[in-house]
Amino acid sequence: MPKDSRLADLTAVRAPIEHAHGLPNAHYTDPDIIATETRAALETTWAALAVGADVPAPGDAKPITFLGQPLLLLRDDQNTVRVFYNVCRHRGMILVDTPRRIEGAIRCPYHSWCYAKDGRLVATPHVGGPGQNACDGIDRASLGLVEVASHIWRDVIFVNLSGDAPPFEDIHGDLLHRWAAFDQPLYHGGSDSTFTLDVATNWKLAVENYCESYHLPWVHPGLNSYSRLEDHYHIEEPGHFSGQGSYVYRQLSGVDGARFPDFKDLDAHWETGAEYIALYPNVLLGVHRDHAFAIVLEPVDTTRTREHVHLYYAAPDTDPALRAQNAAQWKEVFEEDIFVVEGMQKGRAATGFDGGRFSPAMDGPTHCFHAWIAARMEMIGD
Amino acid sequence: MALDRAVLAAHARGDCAALVTLYAQAAEGLAPQNAAFYLTHAYIFALEAGDPRADTLRDRLVAMGADQPHSVPGIETG
Repeated sequence: MPKDSRLADLTAVRAPIEHAHGLPNAHYTDPDIIATETRAALETTWAALAVGADVPAPGDAKPITFLGQPLLLLRDDQNTVRVFYNVCRHRGMILVDTPRRIEGAIRCPYHSWCYAKDGRLVATPHVGGPGQNACDGIDRASLGLVEVASHIWRDVIFVNLSGDAPPFEDIHGDLLHRWAAFDQPLYHGGSDSTFTLDVATNWKLAVENYCESYHLPWVHPGLNSYSRLEDHYHIEEPGHFSGQGSYVYRQLSGVDGARFPDFKDLDAHWETGAEYIALYPNVLLGVHRDHAFAIVLEPVDTTRTREHVHLYYAAPDTDPALRAQNAAQWKEVFEEDIFVVEGMQKGRAATGFDGGRFSPAMDGPTHCFHAWIAARMEMIGD
Repeated sequence: MALDRAVLAAHARGDCAALVTLYAQAAEGLAPQNAAFYLTHAYIFALEAGDPRADTLRDRLVAMGADQPHSVPGIETG
């Protein structure tokens, strides 16, 4: 598509919501446009990659292919989590091919160069000839694993593949401030509190659906029975995040009336308040008085997304039955959304579709996200 | 030959502890250049497994001129 016509389309996206059109079909179907968009929205920003709970213990290593890049998530003995390129500095061999515990060092399966859990190169066997493990020109100190810029917030591990994004706290200071009350220990619920949904959609449609409440009464009638459309409000922070809030969050209660413990010292708003925010580009967050969640959207390819859902609590020893009930409840809600995001993806094959129009009253958070994508595209095109 | 078979079996099992023992055993009685080859293997598998014998093996290799001291002494694998 010629640059001029693409920019014209995106000017329409960034127009005031009363006049704006959504992103053109090409942003969901055209590999070339999506490649440019990936650079603009995912590689040059702080994109969510995983969560700390994916590597819960020292030495845990998890290989992850993200945007085509072979990465390695690694927790060292001091509990520092880092992200590296998962390749040996010698011949570029993949170092770790399945999630596992590193007991001592990572040994490359090819020529056995070894790396410490903090990425240092610690052994180069026979590099100077048989039985000679050092030689001029191979400076171990400068040949550690190549680290990817990363930042952890609310256990979500964000990466900046381009390495030149401003610091995470600078970009997302508004949300850090908004949710400062929740800046306290989070405990992942463990294996019963995580699940993955494999969805036939471009990742953006999962964001778009998540951040608006307009669909709730139609797609989630069960939720609507106690949380009506008018009980919600929009959240819009142009350029950073958008979503929805609820005034009527109702705590889950077990058969014996047991509930999850609350996060400490929350103000009255959070007694029945909840907020659901899509932090651009690709993580969907939720907070409540007694639990939180993070959904890391993994863009598998242009039309496939894996939604990695993780539930967190205010204490490490919550009731397993109640946790299972909570996970099942959320899974049902998120599964109800699948036909919508897959249906919208299929709809993007319609050449007559013009990106769609937004309800000025109800679609502000979605328009906010589209406008951010358009701005990123224009920024990278400059 | 028995040692060869034992080494191959340990490789097949992915048994690092046995590989450390067997490669160290293979180095016994050899001239330093040849011993360094086998001790290197013993050292690498000890390093991979977090086996405490890694420190001693490394010291032996360094003493033989087959390896370099750590730039950060005492920090083997992070």
